[in-house]
Amino acid sequence: MNQVAEAKQEIPASPKARSNGFFRRLAKNRMAFAAFLFLVVIHIVVFLGPLIWNVSPEKVDPINALAGWSLEHPMGTDDVGRDVLSRMLAGGQITLLVGFCSMFFTVLIGGIIGAAAGYFGGWIDTILMRFTEAMMSIPNFFLALVALTVLGKSPMMVILVIAFTSWMEIARVVYGETLKWKESEFVEASISMGSKSMRTLRKHVVPQIIPSIIVSSTLGIAWAILSESAISYLGLGIQPPTATWGNMLQGAQQYIWTSPILGILPGVAITLVVLAYNFLGDGLRDLLDPKYQKK
Amino acid sequence: MLQFVIRRFGQSIVLVLIVTIITFFLMNLAPGGPSSMMRMDATEAEREAIAEQLGLNDPVIVRYGSWLINAFQGDLGLSLSSGQPVLDRIVERFPHTFNLAIWTVFFSVIIGIVLGIISAKNRNTWKDHLINFGSVIGLSVPSFWLAIMFILLFSVNLQWLPSSLVTGDSIWDTIKMYIMPVLILSTATLPTIVRFTRSSMLEVVSQNYVRTARAKGLKERTVVYSHALRNALIPVISIIGVLIPRMLSGTVIVESVFGWPGMGRLIVEAAQARDYNLVMGVTVVVTILVVLSNFIVDIIYSKVDPRVKNIG
Amino acid sequence: MKKYLFIMMAFLLTVLVACSDDSASNDTDQNTDSEDSSESTEPKQGGNVNIPIVGDPIFNPWHPNAYAESNIVNRVLFQGLTKPGLDNLPAPSLAEDWTPSEDGLVWTFNLKEGVKWHDGVEFTADDVAFTFNDLVLNASLGSNGASNYKAVKEVVVVDPHTVEFHLDRPFASLPAYLAFNSEILPAHKFEGVENPWEYTEFNKEAPVGTGAFQFDTYTSGQSLTLKRFDDYHNGAANIETVTFKILPDVNTQIAQVLSNELDAFALEDTSSLKRLESADNLEIVTSDTTRYFWIATDLTNPLFQDVKVRQAMLHAIDRQAIIDSVLSGYGTIANSAITPDQEGYFKEDLPTYEYNVDKAKALLKEAGWEDTNGDGILDKDGKDFSFEFDIALQGDLEQMAVLVQQYLIEVGFDVKLNTLEWNAMIQKNIIERDFDMILNWWAYPTDPDVLAQYHSSNAGTGNNIPGYQNEELDALLEQGQSVGDPAERKEIYDQVQVHMAENLPYLYLWYPQALSVRSDRLQNVPDLHFGGTLHYINEWWVK
Repeated sequence: MNQVAEAKQEIPASPKARSNGFFRRLAKNRMAFAAFLFLVVIHIVVFLGPLIWNVSPEKVDPINALAGWSLEHPMGTDDVGRDVLSRMLAGGQITLLVGFCSMFFTVLIGGIIGAAAGYFGGWIDTILMRFTEAMMSIPNFFLALVALTVLGKSPMMVILVIAFTSWMEIARVVYGETLKWKESEFVEASISMGSKSMRTLRKHVVPQIIPSIIVSSTLGIAWAILSESAISYLGLGIQPPTATWGNMLQGAQQYIWTSPILGILPGVAITLVVLAYNFLGDGLRDLLDPKYQKK
Repeated sequence: MLQFVIRRFGQSIVLVLIVTIITFFLMNLAPGGPSSMMRMDATEAEREAIAEQLGLNDPVIVRYGSWLINAFQGDLGLSLSSGQPVLDRIVERFPHTFNLAIWTVFFSVIIGIVLGIISAKNRNTWKDHLINFGSVIGLSVPSFWLAIMFILLFSVNLQWLPSSLVTGDSIWDTIKMYIMPVLILSTATLPTIVRFTRSSMLEVVSQNYVRTARAKGLKERTVVYSHALRNALIPVISIIGVLIPRMLSGTVIVESVFGWPGMGRLIVEAAQARDYNLVMGVTVVVTILVVLSNFIVDIIYSKVDPRVKNIG
Repeated sequence: MKKYLFIMMAFLLTVLVACSDDSASNDTDQNTDSEDSSESTEPKQGGNVNIPIVGDPIFNPWHPNAYAESNIVNRVLFQGLTKPGLDNLPAPSLAEDWTPSEDGLVWTFNLKEGVKWHDGVEFTADDVAFTFNDLVLNASLGSNGASNYKAVKEVVVVDPHTVEFHLDRPFASLPAYLAFNSEILPAHKFEGVENPWEYTEFNKEAPVGTGAFQFDTYTSGQSLTLKRFDDYHNGAANIETVTFKILPDVNTQIAQVLSNELDAFALEDTSSLKRLESADNLEIVTSDTTRYFWIATDLTNPLFQDVKVRQAMLHAIDRQAIIDSVLSGYGTIANSAITPDQEGYFKEDLPTYEYNVDKAKALLKEAGWEDTNGDGILDKDGKDFSFEFDIALQGDLEQMAVLVQQYLIEVGFDVKLNTLEWNAMIQKNIIERDFDMILNWWAYPTDPDVLAQYHSSNAGTGNNIPGYQNEELDALLEQGQSVGDPAERKEIYDQVQVHMAENLPYLYLWYPQALSVRSDRLQNVPDLHFGGTLHYINEWWVK
C-alpha cells in the first residue's frame, strides 16, 4: 500500500538517462566498484584459470594425500591426494554457475508472478500475492530439506530448490515496481491507444523494472551461493566427487583437526564472493534506485 | 478487526493444509523408505514385515487421509523410528529451539535497533560505514562455517565456551552455552534489523513533525528518542515477522553444528531416517508456529501504527 | 582505508584459527603425571565414565531401529546368553554352559542361577523363551537381527534354569551369534504388551535389564545416565555411574575427549587420528574386527562373469595404497570373507592379487578384453567395457570409491562413479538389485559361518549381493554349519577361503582395524575393540 502511494509521487525517468554514465557513477561508490572488479577477477580466474593450471581436479594420488603446499600443489592436496588448487577452480565454476542459475530461475519465477499480479490486478493480484506472502511466511528451508533428502541432489534439483524457496522477495519488488509503472502516464497512454496487454507489459513495463531486477538478482546470487553451501553442510547439496566450494567445505570438516586449511580455503572463497556480490548489489541499489540514494 | 482475524485464520488453515500435502506426497512418493527397512542385511521378508507393521502398504491417498483426520484430533501418530508419539518427541525438543529463538530475537532486536540508530544519527560517517560493512559481512559468511571456526577458536583453543549443549550448574554456564549459537543465528537477523532501523529513522527524521519539534527548540536527544524513535520503530515490528521463518531455517544449521537438541536437528534426523510421521509433525508444528507469530506481529502492528487502519 | 579493513577482517579469523591450532597441542600437558603412577592392583570404587553416542538410543536390542548408538547402551543395560570372550570365542554370560545334541538339532543352555533383573525379579528360562519365541521368531515383527536365527524353530523351557534351542538344521555358530546384539529381555515387563516396538514405557523410558548398570535418567538429545546395579550377579561394578552423551558430530566428540569430557569411544574414521595421538591424556587402541570391505559386481551381467576379469580388477587396484591413505594404514589386504580376528579359522597362505597393472592387462587380454582402437578403453567385439560404479555417501566409502575408480580407469575400464545417499543406495542396489558394481562392507558375529552372504539360495533377494551361485561353495557352507568339531570345521573353512580367494564371489578389499580412543583415567579395560570392552564394563575403574 505504501509503495503505491510512493509511486504516485514519483515522476518516471527514462531508463536511458539512468544508465548514462553508469560505470562512472559505479566507480564513485568505491566499495561497490572494488567488489565489481574483484568479481571480474574471480570469474576470470575460476573460468580461465584451468587453462593455465591444467592439473586435473579428479586425479587422485593416495600416496601424497593431505600434503602441504608445494610447487607441484600450490594449495596442497586433499584427503585422496587431489590438487586443491584445481579443485578450488573447478569447484568455483560449479558454485558460481549454481549461484547464477538459481538467480536466473528465482528472477524468472518471481518476475512472472510479481509482474502478472501487479499488471493484471484484481483477483489475479489477490491470489498471486497471497500465495507469495504465504510462501514467505513458512519456514521453507524445512521443505527444501525434505525435498532434497527424498528427491535426490542433482545440480538441477539443487538449483530449482533454491529458486523455489527464494523467489518471493523478487516477486514483491517486481510487483511494487509494476504497480508504479502501470499507473504512470505513458503506460496508461499506450493502453488507451489500444495496445494489447502482453505487449504493453513487455514493451513498457518490463524495461522500467529492469534496474530493480538487476539489484535483486545481484543480491540473489549472493543468497543462492550461501544457500548452496548451507545445504551442502547438511550433506544435501551437489554430491561429490563433483567439487563445489560448499561440498569441499563439508568434506573438509573431518580434517579440521589435522588439515584445517582444507576447510579455510573454500570458506574464505565463499565469504569473499558473497561479500562482493552483496556490496555490488548495495552499490547498484544506491545508483539505480533514487529512493535509496544517499544524499 | 474481527473480519481481519477471521480471514487471516482461514488463510492460515489453507496454508498449513497445503504444506502438509506437499510434504506428505513428496516424502511418500519418493523412492526409499524408513531406515528400519533400509538396513543392508535386512531380507525381503523382514522389510515386508516392517512395512506392514508401519502401515505403509496402503495407498498414499488413504494414508494421507487418515493422517489428516488424526491430526485434526490432535494425534500426530507415532514416530516410525522410535515408536514414541510424535507430539512427545516434538514437545521434548521444542523448548531448546524456543529458547534459542527468543534469545536471538531479543539480542538482535536490541542490538540491531541501537546500531541502526547510531548508523542513522551518524549518517555517512565512519561509524555508519563500519556498521554497514559489518552488516554485509554478517549476511555474507556461511553460518555453519563461522560456527565451526568459532568452535575451533573459542571451545578448542581458548576453551572459553562450550561447543555443545551442556547441563550447566550456574547461570553463567547457561549464558556461556547460549553465546555462540545466538551470535551465529543473529548473523541472519541482526543486519536486516540494523538496515531497516537506519532507513526508517532517516525517513522519519526528514518528516515534518520532527522538523517542527526541532524548530520548537527541543533538545536533539529528546527529538531523537521521543519523537523520531517511536515512529521509526513501528515498521521495525513488521520486519520481525519476516525474520522469524528465516531464523527458524537458521536453527537447522546452528543446532546441527552445536549438537543442540531442538526442532531443527529433529527434522534433519527425521528426514534422513524417512520417519514420515515425525517429518510431518515437525513441519506442521513449525508452520503453525510461524503463521501464529506472523499473525501476532500483524495485530500488534495494526494496533500501534495509526496509519494502518483498514488492513486486509 | 576501507579496503585494508576489508582484507584484515577476512583473514583475521583465518589466521587466528590457523595459528591457535599449533598452540593447542601444548595445552594438554596439564595431566601428564599418568606415566609414573604404576598400575595399582586395587580397583578404586566410584566415579563416572562418559561415553558418546550419536543419537537417541532405544532400550531394546531387537527393535528395528536399534542402531549402533542403541547397541552400545544395550550392552551395558542388558546381557545375552553368551558374550564375546577375550579370545574372541563365545564366553558364558547369562548361560553358564551349552552343548549341542548328537545330530546338532538341539542346543541345551544351562542358565546362571541367582540372576536378578533391575527391578528385583529373578531371571529365568521364561525370559529367554519369551525373547526368542515372542520377539525374534515372530516373523511379523521384523526384529532387528532376526535373520541370524532363521535356523531356530523354537526355544523350549526345560526347567527354570535350562532352555533348549530347537533347530531346523544344524547351526554350529549359535553360541557365537548369541553373543552379538542378542540380549535377553524381561518377560514380566512385556506381559500384555501388544506391539513391543511401540512399548515406549520400556523402550524409551524405563528399561529393565540384568546388566551391571541400571537406568537412571535420560534427556532426549542430550544424555543418558546409568547407575551401578548393586545386585549384579557378578558382583557390583566399580564405577558409580556411566553417562552416555548424545553428540552426533564427530568433531564435537573429539573436542570433548581432548578436554577430558569423554572417556572412551570407537573412532570411525582416521582423519583426526594425528591430533588424538598427540594428546597425552589419550590412548589409541587398535584391534582386529569381524569386518571386511568388498566390491560386488553384478554376476548376472556377462561383463563380470569371467573370473579373469574380476582377478584383473583386483590386480589393477593398489589396495595397500588405499589402506595407507584412507585407513591411515590401519588395515590389511583381504583375500576372503574370514577375518584375521578369528584366529582359529583365518588362513594366511591364500592366493592374493598384488597390485600389478601388467598382470591385470594380461588377464584381461586372456578374457578377450583389449584396447584395440586406441581410445584408452578396453573393448571386445566392438563393445567398450563401460559400467557404472554406485557408491553410498557414508563414512569413507566415497574416498575409497574415488581411488578405486581411478585405478580401474588406468587399466582401461570405463567407470562412471555414481554417488547415492544411503537410503537411495539400499533401494536401488540392494532391494531392486540394480547395479553394475558397488563397494561396501560386511560385519558379522565372530564365527566363520558366512552362508548368508554366499549361498545360492540368497542370490537375488537375500544377502548374496553379487548373486554368486556355486554348488561347491554351497555344500561347504552347509557342512560348516552342521559340523561342531573345531578341527573338522577348520578343515571346511580352509576350503571355503581357498574357494573365495580363487573365484572371487566378491572382490575382497581389506580388513579394517577398529580404533578405540580411551582416556588414561580408565583402568582394567580388556584388550578388545571398544564395542567388546563394554561387555566387561563392570570390571573397569577410574583413577
